[in-house]
Order: sequence, then structure tokens, then C-alpha cells
Amino acid sequence: MAVETHGTGTLPQIKGVKDVPYDELFVSGHRTCQGCESALVMRHMVKASGPRTIVLGSTGCMYVANTTYYTTPWVVPWMHTQLGASGSAALGTAAGLKVLMRKGKIKDEKINVIAFCGDGGGADMGLGAISATLTHKDYNCLVLLYDNESYANTDIQLSSQTPYGAVTTFSPSGSKKRLMHTRWKKNVPGMLAAGHPESRYIAAGCAAYAVDLMNKIRKALELGGPTFVHTLDPCPKGWDYHPQYSQELGHLAVECGIWPLYEVIDGVCNLTGPTRQIAEGRKKRKPVYEYLKRQGRFAHFADEDVEHFQHEVDKMWTEWLIPGVIPFTVAAKDQTILKIDKKPLHEQKTA
Amino acid sequence: MSDPKETSTTVEVVYRGIFQKTLAQRICRSIVLAARKRGHTGTAFARYGDSPERNGVPAKQFAVVAVNDLELEASMAKYEPAVVDVSIAVDDTLVKGVESWAWYGRQPIWKPIKKDGFLLVTSDNSPDEVLAQTDKAERPYTLVTVPGAASFAGLWVFKDDHTDYRVLGALAKVAPDWVRLDDVMALIKEQTKDESAVQSAQYGYDAAQLRPVKAGEGTSGHEKLQFDKPGWTTMRPGIVVDARKPGERNPQYKKYTARTLRPVVNFDTCIKCTMCWLDCPDECFEVTPEGHYEVVYQACIGCGICAQVCPVKDCIVMVDELRFEDNQDKWQFWKKDHDGYNKWFEAKSGVSADPKVRTPAARQEGSGNANPSANPTSASGGDD
Amino acid sequence: MAVQIKEREHQDVETEQLMSGCEAIAEAIRLADVDVMAAYPIRPYDGVMQAAAKLIANGKMDVEYIVADGEHSQFEIVKHACAVGSRVFVGSSGVGWFYAFEAIAVTAGLRLPVVAICGNRALDDPGAFGTEHNDSLAVRDLGWLLPWAETAQEAMDLALMAWRVGEDKRVSLPVAIGLDGAFLTHSQQIVKIPTQAAVDKFLPKFDLGDRLLHPDNPITIAPQVDQDWLMEIRMQNDQAMRKAHDVVSEAHAEFKKLFGRGGESPFLDEYMTDDAEYVVFGQGTLALPMKVAIRRLRKEGHKVGLVRLKWFRPFPTQEIVKSLSRFKAVGVIDRDYSFGSPYYGGVLYNEVRSALYSLDKRPTIVGFIAGLGGREIEQPMATDIFEKTKAAAGDIKSGDVCHWIGVRS
Repeated sequence: MAVETHGTGTLPQIKGVKDVPYDELFVSGHRTCQGCESALVMRHMVKASGPRTIVLGSTGCMYVANTTYYTTPWVVPWMHTQLGASGSAALGTAAGLKVLMRKGKIKDEKINVIAFCGDGGGADMGLGAISATLTHKDYNCLVLLYDNESYANTDIQLSSQTPYGAVTTFSPSGSKKRLMHTRWKKNVPGMLAAGHPESRYIAAGCAAYAVDLMNKIRKALELGGPTFVHTLDPCPKGWDYHPQYSQELGHLAVECGIWPLYEVIDGVCNLTGPTRQIAEGRKKRKPVYEYLKRQGRFAHFADEDVEHFQHEVDKMWTEWLIPGVIPFTVAAKDQTILKIDKKPLHEQKTA
Repeated sequence: MSDPKETSTTVEVVYRGIFQKTLAQRICRSIVLAARKRGHTGTAFARYGDSPERNGVPAKQFAVVAVNDLELEASMAKYEPAVVDVSIAVDDTLVKGVESWAWYGRQPIWKPIKKDGFLLVTSDNSPDEVLAQTDKAERPYTLVTVPGAASFAGLWVFKDDHTDYRVLGALAKVAPDWVRLDDVMALIKEQTKDESAVQSAQYGYDAAQLRPVKAGEGTSGHEKLQFDKPGWTTMRPGIVVDARKPGERNPQYKKYTARTLRPVVNFDTCIKCTMCWLDCPDECFEVTPEGHYEVVYQACIGCGICAQVCPVKDCIVMVDELRFEDNQDKWQFWKKDHDGYNKWFEAKSGVSADPKVRTPAARQEGSGNANPSANPTSASGGDD
Repeated sequence: MAVQIKEREHQDVETEQLMSGCEAIAEAIRLADVDVMAAYPIRPYDGVMQAAAKLIANGKMDVEYIVADGEHSQFEIVKHACAVGSRVFVGSSGVGWFYAFEAIAVTAGLRLPVVAICGNRALDDPGAFGTEHNDSLAVRDLGWLLPWAETAQEAMDLALMAWRVGEDKRVSLPVAIGLDGAFLTHSQQIVKIPTQAAVDKFLPKFDLGDRLLHPDNPITIAPQVDQDWLMEIRMQNDQAMRKAHDVVSEAHAEFKKLFGRGGESPFLDEYMTDDAEYVVFGQGTLALPMKVAIRRLRKEGHKVGLVRLKWFRPFPTQEIVKSLSRFKAVGVIDRDYSFGSPYYGGVLYNEVRSALYSLDKRPTIVGFIAGLGGREIEQPMATDIFEKTKAAAGDIKSGDVCHWIGVRS
């Protein structure tokens, strides 16, 4: 029954690249940049969800670029929503469908509701609305945050997701201030997972790991209730690199440990892909410099900036309760009571 | 130098969005500032419909110079000038057409140029080679090539390769009434204090090649793509447009004029791994009955991701767009005429189609392949 | 708390209840079979949300009731529920209404027939709970239909009209009913509740047709546009608003036939105007003290009357011209302000003058600002308004003024 909060098993996990469905529900002919990973996320998102889907798109690149002007690349029904309104759009759409089905005004069936937002609209302006939606366990919807680490559509301004020190039009590098943006990236998926225990699925993904991402989206839609997926999308325009390297940068972000891939399902946290291998010790984290040096937005970095960046990423891996997910350390005196045997920072070796 | 006979002149710069945004801005501003030196006035503006610019998508900026403020008024508060005296294309692949957004159609590069106006194109090709890819002229104009490959940069790190100085020098050659070479050189000297920059303007002036074009010269091989926009009585109410149908590609915006390079595929060496098809943000690959993936050139915007993610060396090679006359998909060609296709592949890419031949890295030069130095980003260069 | 005066024996018997304006609206929500509503607390409109919650909890109606995290979310939630075919209801007051402003603007742009109440309340700063109309009026240019209620009965009736008119395919525009804070939202009055059968005759099912957002109807709603498209889209909204005038008239006639009330005119409520020489003009509950004053002044021999505006948008220009051109002078009472406007007059004042501008013979139109922040319009003030209106008759230019009534210096 579509009105309940569990799925009907119609979206099985994709076994590998050869198992990816061919149907394209987000087609060519959208005015995105060469090498736009966010566009690729859109393509994979509806590939994963299938045609019985309604997509709500908040203002940002994936609205403006895709429909410039008075056109559409969407095969599935799509509607615009406001910058900070993705959470509300998901909630309103899901609630509307649910009650209409219950009252017999439309056919009772499973319809996926996906509302997407960029990092500007989601992690900044719309965070409150997303949080609210994740508490409404009676409604089936997925909020997908595509993160190109800036307000990209307005020609690149910093958001709470812009990495430390990166150049944007609101944080240029000048003779007086080498770095204008010194805030560290807010941990959105971890925060949402920790704060909304009634949301059954929250995940971090990347289009460089396409099958992993599509499976995460399918899991979210299948489990039902309000869910959240956050993708890291290399952006040639904002990050300043040749578009051909978009996939490579996605790989590097994960391999340097900067963007951990994980999912939290019914309160259980799984690391996925190379992130898992890093945590297991099978793979060494690459130095963040490998990632930073490829992008013009870090071209002004001095050695101390790279060191700081590396230090923060190291901390995330060695100090956090769950690397990339939960930033707390437990006070030594409480570790036994809580049965946590994580060593305090000063006793740990770096990776 | 005489005073101009007209009271104002309009110059447009047609460029690849983002990659050449700063370049276009520098050119337009310099035109106005150079004209200022002889007491004229002017305005420089971008076409706001292009904003936000998208990597590779053709965009326009403008410079208008007038003898006084009054004459300038006709060009103020304008979205874009309907007619220009000079158009400057800072990437020669733009002569294959300009499609800036949906319903725009594919417009010939000379569309806004007045009769007997000028089309400046930065190119390392000859004027005739450039003309061979330019739409058949509807009215006479003069094609001017300015030596130099297309100069691309990102948003944060400008590539100072003197393209703007060469272009200004060439402009002084064709529009001396408005942009005097002396003024250009003086302006550059003031701004840069760099003698080599000043000399680049002189070089652009000297090396620019003029090729008068008569009506009817050019190619009719490019797609005709034009739209009539509906009005309020037929537009669907509630800001509703039809969705795309399954299997359709957006007919209102094809986007292939955003391309400077296109991928050519060696189907013999393809291992059908799916990565090119999977990772293409523009859904440019179609699956063939045998499980190969062929490029749909009507949709490809030349980002190069496919060439990067393909695990087989030289299976996908990025090649200068100007080497191709049509947008036809190529798998059928390979199926029907295997050897002919492979010869074509080798001729276009400069790379052997024979999987047993390991082409040395030196082939990167002069083969028209993706030039890594086209991207000046990152302080240390890395391995790009 | 609503108190039933007559016991309801059958579902299909019209009943009377003693209830507030907010509670009356909640009854309308029940009768209209609303599908989705979104709530957020701000006084005085949220009485409707509290009343609705009780009805839902007690099984009197089946509505998805979502408590939002803010007004912007609140209005976005119902907008999107509407797009998938739900009949919806929402509301706010004062600065809460303003917090939703973006959503309010786009709802009209999208031609989605969301029905809302604005429990008119003064805007902060300073904070005050009393009634002023600026919250509703701020959206007057955007394409919302804006009626004003005088009584709890009218509030309920206008809500039913709102779904009827807004959802009509010729209109498809959102409607926001103005309810004066406290005086109407919270004061309890006798209200006749119609039968479900009668309402079902009046209100057809909500049908978005080929604009429905559903996988069986593949559309894209609201792509990005530029200057090549915007004027055509705005034109469509303009046409819809023009049609709304006639649809309001149609619906009013049907309503009157089914329920036996609604007044002569859909747009204007005239009181003792047949032989009046001087009238006042305004909207909302200020009509009540003015009517008391009219009866008193009539006893003294003054030929005075009142024209109460029921629908501010679409502005019933022809009806107003026809009505007001009969009088020597009109005193327009604005329970709002418009700082820096022509003659520093209120919003209604300037709109009425604009409507009558091209008449060969125009009444003098005087402006009054009264009752801001919920200040009661007392009888001495009402007398003052009539006296000033009468004094201005015969000299058009003497109307080029706005009097602030009942203000301490």
C-alpha cells in the first residue's frame, strides 16, 4: 500500500555497471556547463527512481541551467520550487499524494517524490525546512542535496559547503587577505542523521561512484518515509579545472578522505566504497594536496593553508567518533561507561 | 587619422562562456578606454541573458563607442545590439554556429554583422580554412583571422597569453576610425608596463589576414535550426511546458555549438565497459546493437570526460571540432566500412586505430587533440 | 469555543452556531473537503488552525494537517500539495504573512488556487496584535484575489466562494480572505452552517486537468524564462484576473440561490445609499461602527450611507464608478497606510480616486486613516469622518487630503 512508509520492492539494488537501466529520464539538451557533475547526478537520480516519479527542483543550477529558457530536459513530471523550499516541496507533494490516494481521489500507487536542492538552497537557506520534513515519518519523499560547494548559479558565491580557503566571488584572494573564507564545511548528512532518528535513510554519495549513488537513491525510495542523500559534485566552473577531470576529482575527493561515502539506515552507519577501504586500513588516504592542486580555486594556497586543510581532514579520520559522520570524541572518563574504546587524540598516530 | 563618418560603432565579442569571460571583458573595456584617448565616449556591457555563463556555451559581450554622450544614448539600456559593425570570435570553432540557449536556434556567426562589416576570428588556421566552416554569407563582409589558438581559462586564474592585445591590434587595422593603434598601444603600456604586451598589439595588427567574403561564400552543411516563439494565447497556462518524451532529446536546445573538441571512438578497441555512457552528463552516448557506445554528435558538448574515463588508451580521442563538417553519428559508418572508418579515425585524431600500435606521447603536439595547457588552472600544473 | 445553539439532528439540516470568524472558516474547511492544510502559530489567524485541529482530532474532518517550521515552509507546502491536485488551505497574519512573501508571490505566478486567510494584523515593528490591512494589501499587485469579510458568516461564505472562484479553470488564481484581527477572527457571532449537500452542489471537485503534476501527465511546471517569455506569461495572469470579475459574479448568484444570502451585489454592500448625499467607503469590520453612526446621523436628518467593498481584488471598477458617482462626497476610510503616496492617502483612497478619475462629474473624495493597530473606531470619530466628508462636498480639491482620525498629538 503506497500510503504506508515502506517500499514495495520495485527498485532493486543495481549489481554493477552492466545492470544500470538504459532508460533516460533526464535527457540531453540542458544548458549546463561542460563537465557538470550535478547534471550527471540528475541523470542518475531519475535513472535510479524510474518513471513513476515526481521531481521538485529548487532554484539553482539544476533549475536555471536545465530549463534555460522555457524548455525542459525532464521526461518525468518536474516542478520548480523556491530556493529554501525543497524540504517543503517534498513534504507538500508527498502529503498531497497521500491524502488524495486515501480519499480515493487519485489511484493508490507508489509514486516517488524527490525534491532536490543545491548546497546554497539546502545547507543554508533551506536547512530548516529539510529538517522539518525529516521528522514527518508519515510521508514518503527523498530530499537530494547536490553539492557543488558554492552558490554556483549566481556565478559562484560561497556557501556553508564551500571548502576552507576556496576562492569565490564573495571570497577573492587579495594582497591584504589571502583567505577570506576560513569556515570549515558544515557536516550536513552527519548532522541530519544524528538529529532525525525517525528518518530511515541518510547518505553521502558522489557521481564518480555512480552505481553506489544510484543504489543509495533506490534504498532511500524503497525504505520510505522522509529520506536524504547528499552528493558531492565537482564543478568545473566554480572549482576552475578542465571539465574532462570531473570524474577524476570526484574520485580524489573520496580517496583523499575529504568526502566520505556512507549511509545511515535505520540508525546503522555503513561506510561504502573506498571510504570503507580507508577505514579498514586497506587503502591509504591520499594527501589532500593531490586534490587541491588540481583546482584553480585553491591556486592561491600557501603551504600553511594546505597543512591546515590536511590537519582538519586528519582530525576527521582520527578523532571523530565515526569518521566523516559524527564529529564528537567521548571524554576519556566516559569511554568505559559508554563502551567506546577510541583512543584520545594525543595517543593516536596519524594515518 | 580621420574622424569617423558614422556617429557610433558597435563591436561584439562572441566567446566561450566562462573559459573566455575575462578575455571578452578585457577586450570590450579596452575598446572603450582606447577610444576615450581621442575624446570619444563609450559603454561596455554583457548580454545578461547569457548569465550565468556555462562552460563552453557561446556568449556575447559588447562595446559601443560614440562621438559624444548624446549619440551613445541609442546604445544604452539595450539588451543586445541588433546590428554590429564588427564581430570578434575568440575561438574559431564558433564559426560553426552560435546556439546560446533554448529557442535561440543555431545562428550563423555573421548574423548581426552589418553589410560590409568585419568578422575577426582568432585562429591558427588560414582564412579559407575558417571560411570553409562558416555558414554561407547572406551579405558581404570581411573575414579577418588573428593568429593564435583559442585562449581558455577558468574563473579564478586568467591566462595572460596576449590574445586580447593581438585582437585589439587587429581591430585597429580594420576600424582605424574608431580604434587607433597608437591609442591601443598607449593603453596597454599604461595598464601593463610590459613592452611585450605592447608589441603583441603591433603583431596582431601586422599579422591579421583580411579575406573579403562575398554573399554566397561559405558552407551550407550546417543544420538549419530556427524557432518561432508562441504567444500568450497558445502558451499553456500556469507556466507549463510539455515534458520530453522517453527516447527524445531536447529539440529546442541541442547545445553542440558549445563544443571545441569532439570525441572520436575506436570501436575496434572498445571493451564495452559502459563508463563513457555512464559518466556523460549530457547523455551523449547511444548503445549500439553490439553493445558499443556511439557518440550522438547532435548532443555532445565536448567536455572530454568520456576520453578521460575510458580505460583503453586512445579508444576515445578528443579532436579539434573544426576538422569535422557534419554532426552524423559514426557507428553505422564503422559497421558498413570498417577500414574506411578506421582511416577516417586516424586522419582526424592523428592516432593509430591499430590496437597493437602504442602511439608515443609526442602525438599530443599538433594533432589537434585536447591540449592540456589549454587549462592553465592549478599553481603547480599537476598532471593535467 | 463554538457553542451550538440548535442541536444538529441530521447531517442535512442547516444549523446555527455561535462561533468566531476563525471557527467559521474551519467549518468551511470541513464542508469543502480540504485535503491538505499547513499550520504555523501567529496571532490572530491561527485560531483557524486550532479550531481545525479539534475538528480533525474529533473525527469531524479528514485533512492532512501539517505543522510547518515557518510561514515560508507553510505556504510552500500547500502550494505543492495543490500542484498535485489537493484542495488546500493555509493562512497567516502580519509579519508571518511577510515571512511567506516569496511563496505568496510564486503561488500567483504559478496560477495555483491556494485559499488562505490573512488574519489582518499590524506589521512589526513595533509589534502589535490589532488589525491593520497592510499585510494583505502588500500582495495586491501579484495576482491574488482579495476579499474582505465583515462578519463571521461572511467569512465562512467567502471561504466557500474562494475555492469556487479560485479553482474555476477560467481563473485558477489564489485567494486570500481578509479577516480583521480580534474583531472578526476571535469575536463570536451567530453563524448559519450550510448542509454538506448544499455545499457539494456549490463546490465542484478540484480538477487541475492537464496541469496536474502526476506521472500520468508529463509536464514541466515553471521552467526558467527570460525577457522573451515573461510578458506573455504575465498577460495570461492579467486575462485570468479580468475573467475573475465575471466568475465572482456568477458564483455569487449561485451562492445566493443555494444559501439564500450574499447581498445584492457580489462586490459592494450598500447601506442606506438610496437617497444618500454623503457616503463613507471602506472594507472589513469598520463598516459596523459606521453603520451605527449612520443610523444616528439619519435621525438627525443627515442623508448619509455606507458602501462596503467586498472584493478588493479584482477591484470592481465599474461597480464602484456606478455607485459612487451618485454622491456629492465620499469619505474613503483606510485601515491601512501608504507612506509617501499621493496626498499621503491610504491604499483604498488612491485606488478609488483613480477609478473615478475620468468621470465628467466626480464626487469629492476625501481620505481618512483610522483604526490602525486595532484602535476602535468610536462614534465621535465616526461623526468626525462624516462631518469632514460633508464639509468637502462641492469642492473637488478639498478631497486632496488625508485625515488621520483619533490620533493623540
